[in-house]
Amino acid sequence: MRDRRLWLDVALGGLFVAGAFGFGVWAEEANPYRLAQARTVLLYAVLALSWDLLARTGQLSLAHAAFHGLGAYTSVLVVRATGLEPALGVVLGGLASAAVAIPLGWVTLRLHGIYFAIATLAFSEVLRIAANQIAWAGGATGLVTVPLFGGRTVLQYLFLLGVLAALMALSRALQASRWAYAFAAVRTNEAVARALGVPVVGCKVAAFAVSAFFAGLSGATYAHAFLFINPLESFHLGISVAALVAPIFGGLYSTAGPVLGAVLLRGGEDLLRERLGAGYPLLYGLILAAAILFLPRGLVGACQGWSLRRPLARPAGRAARRAVAEGTEEA
Amino acid sequence: MDTFLQVLAFGVLRAGLYALTSVGLALAVGVVGIVNFAHGEFLMLGAFLGYWLFVLYHVDPLVALPASAVALGGLGAVTYHVAIRRVLQAAPLNQTLLTFGLSIALQNLAVVLWTGDNRAAPIPYAHLSVALGSVRVGLPQAVVSALAALLTVALYLVLDRTRTGKAMQAVAQDRLGASLVGIEVDDAYRLAFALSAGLAGMAGTLLVMQFAVSPYMGLSFTLRSFAILVVAGLGNVRGVLPASVVLGLAEAFVEYYLPGGTGWSEAVFFVLIFAVLVARPQGLFR
Repeated sequence: MRDRRLWLDVALGGLFVAGAFGFGVWAEEANPYRLAQARTVLLYAVLALSWDLLARTGQLSLAHAAFHGLGAYTSVLVVRATGLEPALGVVLGGLASAAVAIPLGWVTLRLHGIYFAIATLAFSEVLRIAANQIAWAGGATGLVTVPLFGGRTVLQYLFLLGVLAALMALSRALQASRWAYAFAAVRTNEAVARALGVPVVGCKVAAFAVSAFFAGLSGATYAHAFLFINPLESFHLGISVAALVAPIFGGLYSTAGPVLGAVLLRGGEDLLRERLGAGYPLLYGLILAAAILFLPRGLVGACQGWSLRRPLARPAGRAARRAVAEGTEEA
Repeated sequence: MDTFLQVLAFGVLRAGLYALTSVGLALAVGVVGIVNFAHGEFLMLGAFLGYWLFVLYHVDPLVALPASAVALGGLGAVTYHVAIRRVLQAAPLNQTLLTFGLSIALQNLAVVLWTGDNRAAPIPYAHLSVALGSVRVGLPQAVVSALAALLTVALYLVLDRTRTGKAMQAVAQDRLGASLVGIEVDDAYRLAFALSAGLAGMAGTLLVMQFAVSPYMGLSFTLRSFAILVVAGLGNVRGVLPASVVLGLAEAFVEYYLPGGTGWSEAVFFVLIFAVLVARPQGLFR
């Protein structure tokens, strides 16, 4: 059973990546505006899926804005100072975020639930204040920078698609490995996890570092795609919010959920901006609250529940349905 | 020496306001067990209520206080009934995210209704000041802080001296035990949450005398309230007053004595949160 689901996921993921690839090649000539929009969608899909990696250990992070901004600032500052190729700067941005995440996580990941959320929220607000105050980092005015891949949107898009594909593969591989059980144990009961020999803090720090690496990568790519960064936008709390709303809406602790959530929410955002102007995150807030109240397992979870409830064509169907009704099978 | 006293006075005055903004949150955390990210948004709505009452009907913010308490208290009760009540048994992650969603929704609802502009109410006595020996303080600041401290102490008295207050404390200590001796747990929770929102609303209305109001003003107060709660110990209502003094003084001294301090003073709460969480997660005043 497990194997078949693995292949199904690989096929679905491959289909998604192939479709997105085809769209990019087609849109370069036919619809550059949609291509630029799709690039933003991919930026957020990377943020959302990387956020979910840490969430799987039960930690609610509001530091994604911090890692996004750190990646952006590192890359822009290094490229400005040394004239390095922006593509290398982007990788450096990701590494810098991961390097900051390790000591930060080592100290703060011992905190639980709300304490960790507050600490990470405070951390990203302080980075924003610091970037605002430090003159060589551009201060409140911000910095301009050079474009990634000579400013060819389609190459930037394909690069992000590659990053997302790698992250999806990593996420799916983690789910198929022993780590998935370790993460789930840490999430549900830390004391039990520790008693079973799971290195609790180590697990969390590793997840935090990988999560931060991809957030930094996304932030640095954003900087070299939009060519301008400032403290308010690079460290905006809205980035952390978008990174967590997408997985919750799409389905937590899964590979498809965060990507699906990001595509639906970001894709629909331009429509919202036209209708609601600057107040468009209103809908993000409502979706977040409604998802918690009515859709606690997200779209993916709701679809799984629905497909399990449908009568199956095979003889095993009745037994499976009864098992689900009695709640004996883990959905 | 005079400057030192002046800075000290500013810090203490600020502490009064911080105490009123955070004591409501401490109540929600202590009694209901919900860390309410939308607390700052209740404050923001109270501020807009005070602003519009002043601008449209020339109602002084001090006179508007009861209206603000009733309106925001009502909103708090409704919020509890519609949303919070459903997640009382849920994972803390879900509770946090629910209030986070509420916070974003309320903030942006205000942007849609009133745009994101800063609006300052033209209060006639905003620039008056009083002298206490060698120290001069703004009249609105002094009045706001005195009232805020008074309301905070009043809440302490309600919690200690009235049956309802004692019922809330009992529920906070042991939900099951309280229900066994005949306390309506749901009522106590609703009342605590309504009180929490009402206190935030009053703090917001008082703020109109000193600051411009904007839909985005809530977050910085939510963050400062978190810092105060962490310093006091999460859920410790009584530690709020001394913790507010710690934060108020620290900010005032950083602003004055650190070069370029006004920009950095916003970061003080972070250092406090971080240091306390890492060294003494149960809080300094417990």
